Amino acid sequence: MNYFPDEVIEHVFDFVTSHKDRNSISLVCKSWFKIERYSRQNVFIGNCYSISPERLLRRFPCFKSLTLKGKPHFADFNLVPHGWGGFVQPWIEALARSRVGLEELRLKRMVVTDEGLELLSRSFVNFKSLVLVSCEGFSTDGLASIASNCRHLRDLDLQENEIDDHRGQWLSCFPETYTSLVTLNFACLEGETNLVALERLVARSPNLRSLKLNRAVPLDALARLMACAPQIVDLGVGSYEDEQDSESCLKLQAAIRKCTSLRSLSGFLEAAPHCLSAFHPVCHNLTSLNLSYAAEIHGSHLIKLIEHCKKLQRLWILDSIGDKGLEVVASTCKELQELRVFPTDLHGGGNTAVTEDGLVAISAGCPKLHSILYFCQQMTNAALITVARNCPNFIRFRLCILEPHKPDHVTSQPLDEGFGAIVQACKNLKRLSVSGLLTDQVFLYIGMFATQLEMLSIAFAGDTDKGMLYVLNGCKKMRKLEIRDSPFGDAALLADVNKYETMRSLWMSSCEVTLGGCKRLARKAPWLNVEIINENDNNRMEENGYEGRQKVDNKLYLYRTVVGTRVDAPPFVWIL
Amino acid sequence: MENSNSYSPYSSSSVDSTKPSLSVNLSLSLTFPSTSSQRATSQDWPPIKPRLRDTLKSLRLRQRGYNTALFIKVYMEGVPIGRKLDLSTFSGYESLLENLSGMFDTSVICGNRDRKHHVLTYQDKDGDWMMVGDIPWDMFLETVRRLKITRPERC
Repeated sequence: MNYFPDEVIEHVFDFVTSHKDRNSISLVCKSWFKIERYSRQNVFIGNCYSISPERLLRRFPCFKSLTLKGKPHFADFNLVPHGWGGFVQPWIEALARSRVGLEELRLKRMVVTDEGLELLSRSFVNFKSLVLVSCEGFSTDGLASIASNCRHLRDLDLQENEIDDHRGQWLSCFPETYTSLVTLNFACLEGETNLVALERLVARSPNLRSLKLNRAVPLDALARLMACAPQIVDLGVGSYEDEQDSESCLKLQAAIRKCTSLRSLSGFLEAAPHCLSAFHPVCHNLTSLNLSYAAEIHGSHLIKLIEHCKKLQRLWILDSIGDKGLEVVASTCKELQELRVFPTDLHGGGNTAVTEDGLVAISAGCPKLHSILYFCQQMTNAALITVARNCPNFIRFRLCILEPHKPDHVTSQPLDEGFGAIVQACKNLKRLSVSGLLTDQVFLYIGMFATQLEMLSIAFAGDTDKGMLYVLNGCKKMRKLEIRDSPFGDAALLADVNKYETMRSLWMSSCEVTLGGCKRLARKAPWLNVEIINENDNNRMEENGYEGRQKVDNKLYLYRTVVGTRVDAPPFVWIL
Repeated sequence: MENSNSYSPYSSSSVDSTKPSLSVNLSLSLTFPSTSSQRATSQDWPPIKPRLRDTLKSLRLRQRGYNTALFIKVYMEGVPIGRKLDLSTFSGYESLLENLSGMFDTSVICGNRDRKHHVLTYQDKDGDWMMVGDIPWDMFLETVRRLKITRPERC
């Protein structure tokens, strides 16, 4: 029932860009479904095994941008063994065979190969943007293909990938006539970089906005690069060793001063402590600062830098900044929206760099704060209650107390009340990670109050199945639930099988679920892939005819899918 | 009580531990009250990404005056996806072989090829592939670029 011709409706749909909204409008009526289908430009697939490339192409024949995610989130922390899956090859092959005019490909936690990159580079004439995050399986040869063949490439953004660096000449594979580069991020490459090729590339890229260098780019090269690209908005400094050569330093400082568009600074992968002062002149414009790899820089230097950054919206930093440093952040960075504080001492050596005081200071000083990731050694309920009162606008709240099961260090109580206060106050909370000593009570609170929660990470928490049940029953919008080392078992897993159809995935490792329970789940829910991952046993579990009561050794990962069991699973993955 | 001084990884020192249930990191000086928390190995807890973990580990070693980490790639012939290993954590060839045997779940040795065992070879800084074990360990660390475990002889 349309009162307008299809082209008009399509034009209106162009203004609807979010995936959720596009999904909604496609449900209105058959006509809208069809129009939306053919006009969908950006497709997002949160789990590459939930659907096949063929079905994707049947539904959306005309898309230009594809985002694919492979391994589950806990793969970031070495919990998913090598070879588990997430291969992008079948996707690239299917897209290449079709007539899709792919322009953008964004992959996260997937296995990419040089052959795949070569095929990608040759198959799509208008290919513009390649973003790879936490991927692996390819080398600089694959990058060379992209550089050589993608005439219209704008973005090559490699974030934290495992890339086999052949120390080759991939940078010189960009043709001399190629001038359209906007984003170049190769910070994760470990090898030597062809500096001459890099400088020539930057010099002929007037549209370059984002440049993130690896650790092989020394100070004098950095100075020359910045002099060629004063229009830069986002800079990742590779290494910044303290040069005795003052001429290099002066040149760098002069170049930095000309970069008046610079808004985002990161890198400092190998950084001498005194290097930050060269950047003070541009600090007043910075909105984003990532110093999370600058492990050698002392807190005092970090503080001196941050004192100049009044417009900062995003700050990623190491806990060497200390509570005092966080107080400086709180009093200086009134525009702060996102803060991440990473640990420097992984073994709890007693160096309490940041504590609950730092967190409270931030919550009191930064009214716009909505996302936080905070690693610390200790926490109290009182502090969390104060934080909740100060910041009811949290969308993401992730607290990681380094020692599992650690209680409130003042009262020795579990931290149930503290996290309870957070979920009660923060009505828009979408993502939560809990830690410390926690009983089933905290999950009762989460189930009751965290109505918007979409992602929950649980480690070393809870007492009984009731905990997990509170969450599954209460959080109607839950999409991703990941649990490790918590005493939840079959009763919780099997209580509401249909719940998993509303979620993207569930991860449970080192919990109390048994093989029998997982088998029962798989039987009840054929639309789920129920995977048991056990890299120690290959298929011995099945061969030995393990008792159904046997606890699942290692990991359970289940996810909804419309294409059934995947065919690329390695021997140590058993799909029930 | 001072935390254990040396970063003492258990035998599987690569970033990806293959035996999490056996690899209790005894160097943690904290008292974990429950057994389940002992399953938190130093490779998967706290939840930080590998790159940060490596950076901090190098930092610790440097601060303590040790050499920085020496991560090299290890491939098993016939297996496309390799592993990474920090050679600076081994005392010599014996512990290296022991660790590799555990990591790849097979018997890995130095020496001539035979039918039963996998033989370890390495690529040196000239790009040549050599048998592991001929030169002193320290010299080996200076020259090794990557490792390959060859298949046993077939005929």
